Amino acid sequence: MHATPTDAAAIETVAADWLARRDAGAWSDDDARALEAWLQAATAHRVAFLRLDAVWAESGRLQALGAGRDRTGVPPRAQAGLADLSMLTFAPRASARHRGRGRWAAAAFAACLALVAGGAWFVSAPVDPVDYHTPRGVTRTVTLADGSSTTLASNTALAVRLSRSERHLVLASGEAFFEAAKDPQRPFVVEAGDRRVVAIGTRFSVRREADALRVVVTEGTVRLEPADGDIRQPTTLLPAGSVATVRRDAVLVRSLSLAEVEELVDWRSGRLVFRDTALTDAVAEFNRFNTRQIVIADASVGALRIGGSFRWENAEGFVRLLERGFPVEAEYGREKIVLRAP
Amino acid sequence: MTADLDAWFVEEILVHEGALRHYLARHWPNVDERADLRQEVYARVYQAAASELPRHPKAFLLTTARHLVVDRARRGKVVSIEPMGDLEPLHVLVDEVSPERWCGGRQVLRRLSDALDRLPDRCREVVWLRRVEELSQREVAQRMGITEKTVEKHIAKGMRLLADQFLGGDDAQPRARRDAGADHRDADDDARHAD
Repeated sequence: MHATPTDAAAIETVAADWLARRDAGAWSDDDARALEAWLQAATAHRVAFLRLDAVWAESGRLQALGAGRDRTGVPPRAQAGLADLSMLTFAPRASARHRGRGRWAAAAFAACLALVAGGAWFVSAPVDPVDYHTPRGVTRTVTLADGSSTTLASNTALAVRLSRSERHLVLASGEAFFEAAKDPQRPFVVEAGDRRVVAIGTRFSVRREADALRVVVTEGTVRLEPADGDIRQPTTLLPAGSVATVRRDAVLVRSLSLAEVEELVDWRSGRLVFRDTALTDAVAEFNRFNTRQIVIADASVGALRIGGSFRWENAEGFVRLLERGFPVEAEYGREKIVLRAP
Repeated sequence: MTADLDAWFVEEILVHEGALRHYLARHWPNVDERADLRQEVYARVYQAAASELPRHPKAFLLTTARHLVVDRARRGKVVSIEPMGDLEPLHVLVDEVSPERWCGGRQVLRRLSDALDRLPDRCREVVWLRRVEELSQREVAQRMGITEKTVEKHIAKGMRLLADQFLGGDDAQPRARRDAGADHRDADDDARHAD
């Protein structure tokens, strides 16, 4: 009885109708109850619904195909994503085989255009350039004119240029977390050294260190690409959960759970979260946020591995906890706290 | 409770739809009935998981499929026993971290974009505007000059086609490639069994 040929198809059709209606937006409590009743009525209903729902949710990633492109209608097949995607890489090295084809030719052409149009652009473009700076020990959240917001970590410099065609931010040093407001007409671009991160409606952080750049994506998708259009460097798509580390020419991408990436940007709420982290690295984090620096005098101490969630303001409390749980002795000075092996 | 189970079902079972379809394609000759069997397998797995989560989801999924196929075959009305000669040893990848898993990144996006490109024209346009440009259904209707009801219908159709394409894995590929994939997979299975 269960398997008349139309059975699964019929159920799936109903499931799709429910989902499409919910997607339409005018979704009342009555609708929700009616759907719940339908789902309860048979397991076959529920699994058909879950299946479509999961793929539809997953299809939200398609948004990445639009990142940074100018929105002039629906592109023809294969040109939309596939041609583009063949140029993308999620690995440290770009595949040499794909280079030199269409997109780069297009990029070169666009660069020529930019040279021609450049003069005019600069005259009309930047609307209200603003520079933000936080001293060590201070974080600050600012709302930008387009409705986006950004939180600057300690010791950070960020320049914001909003123009009609682009939202261009330059991270000169430190780290900032961005909640980019949706605006398909104006890409949200964060430039950091020789890379830039392109997003549309998404949440992510960019952090500069002496020799590395780190991008953490907590929602949506961003594109990491060379800032100067250098075609020898790979373009990398980073979906939510990604942590990308750039060192010179290499891009390393790790995929973590959303909970884990949120921890990496928890400094916004005043917390630093560590999981099996070398004390050297944990201390470096504290030092980013505090004028009173922690100094590790013995390598054996730095190699200890710690975990937990700490307030970054309270470096001394962190060290006192260390002393209780680990073979560490601390010497508390005004300017610094020195850690030694006993 | 239900939400946990739902999430488990999506993350641990649906990701293996490619393998399930592959199994059914080999063991159930009647193409028209495979979608029904697939749904029945899913329902059985979901129900079983409600009382206890299987430890090896993929193996459990394929075992359930096998039992269902055997049940149906025994009833004898649907299909003869003969085409199912290789039922006994169930070649199952017990490796739970399988390539079917929706790992983030490029492959997923490529499969999605493939699936998108296989939609019929109007349907594809609607899904593009809704999913890539993130317009609301109402905005899509205005942009395309069609009614909201029509947009909703295209969305519903798009959901079904995307799911078939995206989850289909090997099955969604042209036959030549699918066969090549099947050979490869069998070899893979044997290698694992030898371990």
